[in-house]
Amino acid sequence: MVLDNLGSSLRGTLETLQGKTRLSEEDVEAVVREIQRSLLQADVDVSLVMELSDSIKTRALKEEPPGGTSARDHVLKIVYEEMVAIVGESTEIPLEPQTILLAGLQGSGKTTSAAKMAWWFSKKGLRPAVIQTDTFRPGAYDQAKQMCERAEVEFYGDPDESDPVTIAREGLEATEDADVHIVDTAGRHGLEDELIAEIEEIEGLVSPDLSLLVFDAAIGQGAKEQARQFEEAIGIDGVMITKLDGTAKGGGALTAVNETDSSIAFLGTGETVQDIERFEPNGFISRLLGM
Amino acid sequence: IIEEEDLEQPLWQLEMALLQSDVEMGVAEQMLDTIREKMLGTTRKQVQTTAQLVEEALHDALLDVISVGQFDFDQRIAEADKPVTIIFTGVNGVGKTTSIAKLSEYFEKQGYSTVLANGDTYRAGANEQIRKHAENLDRKLIAHEQGGDPAAVIYDAVEYAEAHDIDIVLGDTAGRLHTSNDLMAQLEKIDRVVGPDMTLFVDEAVAGQDAVQRASKFNETAEIDGAILTKADADSSGGAAISIAYVTGKPILFLGTGQEYDDVERFIPEELVASLLEDEE
Ligand SMILES: Nc1nc2c(ncn2[C@@H]2O[C@H](COP(=O)(O)OP(=O)(O)OP(=O)(O)O)[C@@H](O)[C@H]2O)c(=O)[nH]1
Ligand SMILES: Nc1nc2c(ncn2[C@@H]2O[C@H](COP(=O)(O)OP(=O)(O)OP(=O)(O)O)[C@@H](O)[C@H]2O)c(=O)[nH]1
Ligand SMILES: [K+]
Ligand SMILES: [Mg+2]
Ligand SMILES: [Mg+2]
Repeated sequence: MVLDNLGSSLRGTLETLQGKTRLSEEDVEAVVREIQRSLLQADVDVSLVMELSDSIKTRALKEEPPGGTSARDHVLKIVYEEMVAIVGESTEIPLEPQTILLAGLQGSGKTTSAAKMAWWFSKKGLRPAVIQTDTFRPGAYDQAKQMCERAEVEFYGDPDESDPVTIAREGLEATEDADVHIVDTAGRHGLEDELIAEIEEIEGLVSPDLSLLVFDAAIGQGAKEQARQFEEAIGIDGVMITKLDGTAKGGGALTAVNETDSSIAFLGTGETVQDIERFEPNGFISRLLGM
Repeated sequence: IIEEEDLEQPLWQLEMALLQSDVEMGVAEQMLDTIREKMLGTTRKQVQTTAQLVEEALHDALLDVISVGQFDFDQRIAEADKPVTIIFTGVNGVGKTTSIAKLSEYFEKQGYSTVLANGDTYRAGANEQIRKHAENLDRKLIAHEQGGDPAAVIYDAVEYAEAHDIDIVLGDTAGRLHTSNDLMAQLEKIDRVVGPDMTLFVDEAVAGQDAVQRASKFNETAEIDGAILTKADADSSGGAAISIAYVTGKPILFLGTGQEYDDVERFIPEELVASLLEDEE
């Protein structure tokens, strides 16, 4: 079964359905309540959880389990389909020349993720370069440079230049020979108007093939509004969820892809450049539903 | 008389509101249980609705939790033997290093001298980052090579402070997730070897349900005296503060409100409660 790694209370509720071929309204209520709990504990947006559970409930009561399917498997299938409808497949990333722009809140993991993605592309046989446009955070240049040394990939930055847009332009020129350009940006949040204007300018100059929003797996209910504001500013094509090596479930990323009509591209699972994985829906959905 | 079924709906709405504000579910449910107990069987006046009463009870419960252990931080610093050593802990990227720079400024404005110690000997660019802060603020920084022993760096800074009559040592640590056994063991060692006068746990206001996990793990590993909640400027309700105070029993002391050195404020429990309740309307 796709969802065999469920939280214990949800599993417990499902066990009580064992052997049943039809679900009563009460059965469905109980399952839906446990699913709500899991998703809320995973930081999925409260209103999105309610929408999701409403459609699960409606379908579970209306649709007949196909012959030979137990009621338990039927309701699980519905849950899975409804979740997949939101997360979708991993963001498509063609193995060809392209420019990727990273955006996100302060400390979400952009710089680390830039080096990780560059490492990932280099393993796929492409030639990546990271361009560091963060002129604000102390040590940002050195951090990105050192991470790129660890990833053994090309790096461009200019510690003497204070304008991120200039760095982006000069960086693209200087790394012209690279196949994949990964443009790192300073951290910012949706209420910082000047910084939002700045990333709009960077986006305009770079014209990325892919703008990725980098989200900490632990982000709470603010995920929705932040995602909305980044989407409005630069258009979000995909999400990278970082710090999944902790206990946070990453439900904010579900909210974000729903809000930006995009998908999840990569997962970050540690502090070294190799700690990157392509997104895979099954594992993520199981995590959201509880370990 | 208020009965169980009168409470069901208002309590459910409150639970959703608390979750919407990022209060952790277990914490929210325990608070609501307390409210339920308190209200069952009480009588309400004609002018009050059950929802109003529940909301009042919630206000008190929230204030109770968030006021836990509040102490006069400035006074404790003033009275402590110098140098006072403060260590900053927390998961990756929450704002430990920036908060050290801010607090250094906070203390210097009150006439104390401070030295920064870079106990993050791990992350790329960590030395350069804190060195830049030290230069900007014209503070002494004690740092070792990358890969060095973090406890030794902070220990050196304490010796430096003693030899140079510095009042306060601000010791940084590398960000680490509470799930990393090795790094948590290292934190335990730093705490044991350095024996800080104060340990401040740093977390971010935008954090969701996970705040409970990490606050309790960090508090178990290197007992904290209080917390700093950063990125309070990023439009979140800051329910993480409730979660942290509830599970650690330690006070939130400061809010980080931006990326500049003076973007730090003393935390005021009543203000958070007011803003949490406001969000619900
Ligand atoms: N454990 C873990 N740590 C991570 C992961 N990704 C990033 N980090 C850590 O998170 C912290 C912040 O990462 P950065 O790459 O500096 O984040 P940023 O978004 O570039 O930060 P700003 O530029 O300040 O906005 C660092 O300590 C990283 O080592 C991850 O997947 N797992
Ligand atoms: N908006 C805002 N940004 C903040 C605040 N505090 C810190 N930051 C930013 O958050 C990012 C991470 O801050 P750091 O101080 O490097 O965090 P850290 O906990 O030391 O990170 P690691 O050492 O990598 O674990 C930086 O871009 C800071 O400028 C705050 O109160 N508000
Ligand atoms: K989009
Ligand atoms: Mg960065
Ligand atoms: Mg730091």
